[in-house]
Amino acid sequence: MKHDGQTMLEIRNLHATVGGKAILKGLDLEVKAGEVHAIMGPNGSGKSTLGNVIAGREGYEVTDGEVLYLGKNLLDLEPEDRACEGLFLAFQYPVEIPGVNNTYFLRAALNAQRKHRGEPELDSMQFLKLVREKLEILHISDDLLHRAVNEGFSGGEKKRNEIFQMAVLEPRLAILDETDSGLDIDALRLVADGVNRLRSEDRSMIVVTHYQRLLDHIVPDYVHVLADGKFVASGGADLALKLEAKGYTWLEKGGIQALNSAAGA
Amino acid sequence: MSALTQQWAETFRADFHPAGPDWLNETREKAAQSMEANGLPVRRDEAWKYTPMRVLESMSPSIRGLKDDPTGVELALPDEDLLVSPDQVIDIFDGVFAGCRPLQREGVTVLSLQQGLVAHEARLRDLIEKVDVSGSAGAFAALNTAFLEQGVVILVDEHIDAGDLLLRWTFSGRHEAGMHNVRVFLLLEPGSSLRLTEQFIENAEQGKAVNVISHIELGDDAKLNHVRVQDEPDNTILISSTRVDLNARSEYRYAGFDLGGGLVRHELAAELAGTGAHAAFTGAFVLNDERHVDNHVSVSHTAKNCTSEQFFRGVLGGRSRGVFNGRALIRPGADGSSVRQSNANLLLSDLAEMDTKPELEIYADEVEASHGATVGQLDEIAVFYLRSRGLSEAAARGILTGAFCRAVSDRLEDRPLAAKIAELIDKAMPSQ
Repeated sequence: MKHDGQTMLEIRNLHATVGGKAILKGLDLEVKAGEVHAIMGPNGSGKSTLGNVIAGREGYEVTDGEVLYLGKNLLDLEPEDRACEGLFLAFQYPVEIPGVNNTYFLRAALNAQRKHRGEPELDSMQFLKLVREKLEILHISDDLLHRAVNEGFSGGEKKRNEIFQMAVLEPRLAILDETDSGLDIDALRLVADGVNRLRSEDRSMIVVTHYQRLLDHIVPDYVHVLADGKFVASGGADLALKLEAKGYTWLEKGGIQALNSAAGA
Repeated sequence: MSALTQQWAETFRADFHPAGPDWLNETREKAAQSMEANGLPVRRDEAWKYTPMRVLESMSPSIRGLKDDPTGVELALPDEDLLVSPDQVIDIFDGVFAGCRPLQREGVTVLSLQQGLVAHEARLRDLIEKVDVSGSAGAFAALNTAFLEQGVVILVDEHIDAGDLLLRWTFSGRHEAGMHNVRVFLLLEPGSSLRLTEQFIENAEQGKAVNVISHIELGDDAKLNHVRVQDEPDNTILISSTRVDLNARSEYRYAGFDLGGGLVRHELAAELAGTGAHAAFTGAFVLNDERHVDNHVSVSHTAKNCTSEQFFRGVLGGRSRGVFNGRALIRPGADGSSVRQSNANLLLSDLAEMDTKPELEIYADEVEASHGATVGQLDEIAVFYLRSRGLSEAAARGILTGAFCRAVSDRLEDRPLAAKIAELIDKAMPSQ
């Protein structure tokens, strides 16, 4: 699937360090509206760092390059302003927040974003109506509304809560950071179904994953392979299958060239 | 000796002429002597070493609630903003028992302290004489005992569910800074139950000091839920001592919320004397500026198979200071006891200070005990998580600190009350 939509995200020569250690070493990526990009790579290749840099987490220092989001310099913005501009990061490890009700939190977040956009805030009745619609689309039980944010949630519930938040906040660019990690097959399918329902012509997604199996359910437009802080190969959805068959170690043994020539073919 | 206790002792001799049986006058006299001889608590007194007396000394409050105090003030107390919808309201007005509404209820007796001393002399005498007034550490107990005159006695008959009782403390501000000494007796007969909420209503611009001793006796199988909420201004000094005696299978649950006050100190002591009794002391405080809150909890397990819990949370901003001292003593023979202690605190400012000290002393077998105390900052990953959803940093920090304290109010069974307290907690929160 090719998209001619506007450019959502443009990353040029991105270098980033964490705790003084270089993790990203020159990344380039362009994501257009409506596209789904998968980023794969072995542990320690920098996959999660990319998501955290884009979301603006403290401790992730950009040392070179730029990130443009809808033509604007994303790195100048505070994390909350990035969110208000339509960016969403589904966390690899969603944070448990005891004492903060899920519904309360999400309404506060949505209203902060609506205020930023100059839209009227939703009262609790309007919000509840919206939430019920989203729950129905995602086939999620409303029991998670009454609980504290992620507190005591199973791994699957936490990931579904991330997707639910995404559904309510309706971002333009969503980054899913290892949303499949720690999920069994059934939970994986539920989460993937949720993500698929949120795909649209004006929403882009970056799906970060270690394993190819998520991409059986969320079929990407493009796959990029990250190794040692750089993209070493890019291609279509079939690239993920090849990688799965051969393993990441194969990359280090000259497989990159083979991959690239295959992708170009 | 201190100038202030000297001044109070002079008031005692010159202006205090209470009625009362001889034993009580002797007890008062001895307490006054001890207070005068020993003065206010000093840093050497282990239990008082973090509690500064300078605020009290500079306020220098004179004794209030003397019998010849001109009262006669119209009691026009508004019922809005009550924390609960009470079945009965008891008013303490400027430290003086001012009646209750409704006046009478089946199975519940409410008396002024003077009436109570006549009707239940032996029982009250026992409790009064148990109070240790010795040394400088006993100064406030001595002060309260010396001027023992004002207060209330509440009795709940056997097997009566007395519902919601509101004890309302109102201060009119018609006096200059005063020291109010009040005594509360709460006697629950076997099988009875009560929910008691203490609320402070503030009209005073003058500073004030309140020194309260509460005696609580729970008969077999009696149950008391006790909630105390105060969001007093900075010029309030509140010193309380709550002593609870628990008989077999009785339950006492305390939840204290200190959202204001300049110098606040609670001594909370329970004696688990009957098999299978349960005592839970919980509390939250929010401090900023130069406020000070001190919770001294002491639970003694005497009988077998009793359980107790201490659960306190504190948020400290500005130059404030908090103290938690939680002691649990399991006496020989109190086998099968279970004790849980937890105290967690958030420091929002570099200048705030928290001193926390859990103490466990165990002299029995088959005891379950756990304790933990933490002093720290907000979890930055949680702050980032909330910000990544669009909440400003200030909003994120506000939500997280509020939630930290709500861990205490969320435990209340009374949901509407918990919601009101949660609002007060948010209102008291220092800006971040």
